[in-house]
Amino acid sequence: MARNIETSIYLGAFILSVAVFAIGIYVGHILDQNNLISISHELSNISNRMASLQILLLSDSDSSSFCPVYLTESENLDQEIEQIGYKLSFLEDEKQIFDDNLKRAYFTLEAESYFLAKKTTSLCNESDILLINFYSNKNCGQICKDQGVAVIQARDELAAEGIVVKLFSFDGELDSPIAEAFESEYHVLSYPTLVINEKTYSGFQSAEQIKEIIRASAGS
Amino acid sequence: MDIVELLNYSIAFFSLFSVCVFLLLYIKYWREYGKKLPEPKILPKVSIIIPAYNESKYISKCLESVLSIDYPSDLLQILVIDDGSTDDTYKVAKKFESKTLLVMRKENGGKGAALNFGIKKASGELIATMDADSYPSKNVLWELIPHFTDPEVMAVTPAVKIRESNSWLKEFQRVEYLMILFSRKLLSFIDSVPVTPGPFSIFRSTVFEKVGGFAEDNLVEDQEIALRIQSHHFKIRSSLTADVYTEPPETIGDLLRQRVRWQRGGIRNYWQYRFMIKTDYGDFGMYCIPMNFLALGAFFLLAGLMFYSIFSAPYYTKYIWLDTLSMGITLFTLIGTFVIVVSTFFLYLAVTSFANEKVKLRYIIPFILFYWYLMLGYNFMFLFKELKKEGYSW
Repeated sequence: MARNIETSIYLGAFILSVAVFAIGIYVGHILDQNNLISISHELSNISNRMASLQILLLSDSDSSSFCPVYLTESENLDQEIEQIGYKLSFLEDEKQIFDDNLKRAYFTLEAESYFLAKKTTSLCNESDILLINFYSNKNCGQICKDQGVAVIQARDELAAEGIVVKLFSFDGELDSPIAEAFESEYHVLSYPTLVINEKTYSGFQSAEQIKEIIRASAGS
Repeated sequence: MDIVELLNYSIAFFSLFSVCVFLLLYIKYWREYGKKLPEPKILPKVSIIIPAYNESKYISKCLESVLSIDYPSDLLQILVIDDGSTDDTYKVAKKFESKTLLVMRKENGGKGAALNFGIKKASGELIATMDADSYPSKNVLWELIPHFTDPEVMAVTPAVKIRESNSWLKEFQRVEYLMILFSRKLLSFIDSVPVTPGPFSIFRSTVFEKVGGFAEDNLVEDQEIALRIQSHHFKIRSSLTADVYTEPPETIGDLLRQRVRWQRGGIRNYWQYRFMIKTDYGDFGMYCIPMNFLALGAFFLLAGLMFYSIFSAPYYTKYIWLDTLSMGITLFTLIGTFVIVVSTFFLYLAVTSFANEKVKLRYIIPFILFYWYLMLGYNFMFLFKELKKEGYSW
């Protein structure tokens, strides 16, 4: 005895499921585009605030009376720039979305923020440590990712000891003139390379090694 | 797209597809869904078999409710089979003995054997089997019997429900039972009823001559008989109005034990009846049986992928602010959300389709989450016991 098979139901369910997937792909694409647009807005917002801070600093180069303003605002900006870095990494790692222009704009901000930090640190007599992490998305892979983790771990552990470390990072192989300028300044030849208070350390450094270097440099 | 993503999408597609099948079945058969069947012209004799093993706690209440069933007493035979209880089940049941209600005793041999013992003694044209911790409503037979007008129908399942209570565990099970009931009704339209539930089911007495009695060494004999009946191309129908209330497990531990038993027995039975995966067995063979295996595979895969995603998250996710998390809305989360929305809608449709059952929204909404953790619990216990080749025990 042959029994019935509800082909139309299964076909209908299949078509419905495919339709939902298609809508999902479309909406996902729109959301990703919106994410990129919102990152680019955040970048220009930070860039404007950074410019105001720089102008303020230029017009008041000798006095330290504005230090609380510089330090608070630059700390806020640093945090926001760091978040943008994470967002760009997240888009790259999880969604394979690469936007080189956004990354270049981000590195420009990193550079500005680095110079600002250098200036405010000396002007306001702060003992913050500046650490630049040079990496490459193209040719470095896991070891650069591990270096990123080690750097953050070292920063967090040193913060508990009262040592403030400011992080900056550059993808050296992105055709970003700013990143290239930094690389030639600090003689970066391979990845990963760290620059801690203007001294260059090539090759992977573990969180412990980074902490040692920083403790020594903070103590001196 | 990497392999992890591909697997995630496949599971999402599979879940969406199976919910869509149910929704389309509902749309196609909604006219028949609540249709009232005409009352039978000639009333058949009905035997109700109640196997009982150490049920002294519930047996009185159960027998009171069976005796209050609205049906001519000369057409009703109630057989209580005490399966060698060590408590006073027999003594308590004996107090109810009358012309219609007989209490018999046999050596302990398990539920299947007790049922078969009862079937041999039964004289009804229809034989109902019921658990000693179940309470049928008065009109149960009037609602079930009309389905037998179709000569191919060999069994009818009632609406097994749980009474409303203040216990969240029981309320979650109540939601689950209503959902199962709703799905089973939809499956009955495509001749794919997966179980004739132990709490109460009614059979044409001739079916036991044609396909044999209950399996005596099976963990879920009420499912095995349903598979066997359908492997002989007979039909099983499902009633939504013949209410039978049952006592659910009261603790998580008991619930898990019950589900591990269902899962172990269930999967073995499906494996035993895998020969039905042929077009000859219609939707049951080509859709329902394969779906059971696929669902089990998909479940373990999904659990694995979830563990993987926890350990493979990039290091910076713990530093990410909340607004960045909104970027985590990937295609998969979108589709995953849609699957959950559609499933919740289906659940809501199921629970609200019973006019006399009111369930609080606070038990419906988190049900899917509760169910996921319950499944995680019993499926891993199932896997563990199967790998250990642990024997069956009651």
